[in-house]
Amino acid sequence: MKTKILSGALILAATGLGGVAQADSFTLWVRSDGSEFMPKLVEAFNAKGEHEAQLQIVPVNELVQKYAIAAAGGSAPDALSLDLIYTPAFAAAGQLKDITDLVESLPYRDALSPAHMSVGTYDGRIYGLPFSADASVLLWNKDLYRAAGLDPEQGPTTWAEIREDAEAIAALGDDTYGFYFSGSCGGCNVFTFTPLIWASGGDIFADEGKTATLASPEVREAIDFYRGMVQAGIVPAGAQTDTGANFFAAFANGNIGISPSGSFAIGALNNQYPDLDYGVALLPGKEGGASSFAGGDNFVVSQDTENLEPIKAFLEFAYSVEGQTILANNGSLPVRADVAAEALEGLDARNLVSAEAMTVGRTPYSVVFNDLINSSNGPWATTLNRAFFAEDDAVVDEAVEEGQEEMQSIIDAAG
Amino acid sequence: MPDTSSKAPAAVATPRPRRRRRRSADWEGLLYVLPAAALVIVFFMIPLGMTIWMSLHKWPLMGKPRWIGLDNYSRLLGDSDFWNALGFTVQYTLAATAGLLGVALILALMVERPARGVAFYRTAYFLPVVTGFASASLLWAWLSNVDSGLFSPLAQTIGLTSEPVNILATFGPAFWSVTIMVVWKMAGFHMVILMSGLQSIPADYIEAARIDGAKAHQRFRYITLPLVRRPFALALILCVSGSMLAFDQFYIILSGGPQNQTVTAVYHIFNESFVSFRLGYGAALSVVLLAILLVLSAIQLRLLRDRGETR
Repeated sequence: MKTKILSGALILAATGLGGVAQADSFTLWVRSDGSEFMPKLVEAFNAKGEHEAQLQIVPVNELVQKYAIAAAGGSAPDALSLDLIYTPAFAAAGQLKDITDLVESLPYRDALSPAHMSVGTYDGRIYGLPFSADASVLLWNKDLYRAAGLDPEQGPTTWAEIREDAEAIAALGDDTYGFYFSGSCGGCNVFTFTPLIWASGGDIFADEGKTATLASPEVREAIDFYRGMVQAGIVPAGAQTDTGANFFAAFANGNIGISPSGSFAIGALNNQYPDLDYGVALLPGKEGGASSFAGGDNFVVSQDTENLEPIKAFLEFAYSVEGQTILANNGSLPVRADVAAEALEGLDARNLVSAEAMTVGRTPYSVVFNDLINSSNGPWATTLNRAFFAEDDAVVDEAVEEGQEEMQSIIDAAG
Repeated sequence: MPDTSSKAPAAVATPRPRRRRRRSADWEGLLYVLPAAALVIVFFMIPLGMTIWMSLHKWPLMGKPRWIGLDNYSRLLGDSDFWNALGFTVQYTLAATAGLLGVALILALMVERPARGVAFYRTAYFLPVVTGFASASLLWAWLSNVDSGLFSPLAQTIGLTSEPVNILATFGPAFWSVTIMVVWKMAGFHMVILMSGLQSIPADYIEAARIDGAKAHQRFRYITLPLVRRPFALALILCVSGSMLAFDQFYIILSGGPQNQTVTAVYHIFNESFVSFRLGYGAALSVVLLAILLVLSAIQLRLLRDRGETR
């Protein structure tokens, strides 16, 4: 509160004394997943000199807590790039400003990502605008494909092909593995494992998130697919206890043949590991088809923010061709459909694959998403960990059954 | 308290100046403790009061709190996850305390007397204490990593195991690995406490016992042990209350895994408060944990009290 009043006073003083045109600033938070594109976007925006965005990057696992504490203490940022999953919960808790009017004033509002807009709308009013987009995709290491005598330009399109290719690569040597996933990370697995289920016709929720369907045959088949690869020894032992720390790094290391990941990885790999030769494919269903988790951030404004002027200017910049191009070049996907082609121009085919993934992507909706899915002690993470690494079938049955029960009881308790 | 009795007749003889002086001394004393008292009030009493206040509400992380009286406490009684977490915490406390105090005592005996190079060993044993729990945990998490760490590849290289073994994937090895980390990190601290106790034992006692023909283990059992009781009690209480509040190491190294078997009481409180966003319920759990700790400390103090103090 104090700092806000103080900075407000300083701005007043500055404008009053100098009599210069409006050089307003606003504070902006982004989760660490956005640390590739956001600083570049903010830098370009600030360079225009009209307004100033003050960016703070917050570790992804602490963003909600940190924001809630800051809001309670009156020091919430003016605006926030928020994991779209949380938009309904934040809006329901009265933390966000109704920005319906601001949205109405944008001429291209109908071209903004519908998946983002649907979770950004609460009670008929708009609280969140699409900001960044991240779709889950499958990565494969072309060098290892070559070494194993596989076609490096042809990524797997069914589960059987993933298994086959992964086995061929694992056979290359002791330090080379076919497949990698973070086996103890709920957030990673909802992002990369559920699309395998969706693409095969199944789901983990039914009735708009009111029913858990963890015990369905499609989920079981997908579990058996992962478990089969674990038992075949083509997954590094560390996968079992990876809580997400190696989600990106394992593949970047260069000794993993295939790994499900996200479009964010394309920007990060190109910037940090320019020598890694890899391909991007859609996450396939059992017999083909494709799906993806349509994730990313919604741009939201804190309830107490008074001055929308600089924020509106920032959004307009982000939605401009220049802004969308910066996003597309740094690991996000464009969120404005009518300029997407322009923004993606000149980028390699891998970005186009993830743009395509976004169009076949889904976003699960649940008000208790954190409890069910993201918590490393929640039923989703625990069940999958037990089932993927189970020694025998009975353990899988038991894990799935218990997970189903616990998920349903959490959903029911939330009403 | 022999000195009060000696003062009493003097006070009778010259009542007025004495009393005045004592009263002003009282005020002076109050002045001296004021900074400390202010710290305790601001950073302990007020937060404690707020915690109790919050525990009587349904208090979401965001949104409006609602008064629900003792509902959180009645819900807590049936919360098997919390009691399981508490059970695990007790198990860990027993293991960690035994390990810590045992190792600390051995280290203290080794470096107690001045000898050549003893300063080096004291420093070396104390060094891990000054690393933070979080950094020590991160270091350990990396050492324990089966693919890129140290332990598993080392065991394979020297032929202990034929295949990589993920020690964090099963409860036993994971639990002991964290406990050993804690002993490595904290033993030096308790060593210093016990060492100061050992050094305060007058050499004459040992000398006299030696002349009387007491063997080394007898001297240790009947002279050293009883005389280090007070520092030992301090170390024990610090150790038990520290272990009962364990969180960082299990959060960072194991994330409560495998299969939530290493979720400690504080970890559970963290999950309720900051993952499920139920701050009110988290506060109620904290109050209960505080009560349990108070009882534990009272029991330990009573058990380890000197006979002289019981009067």
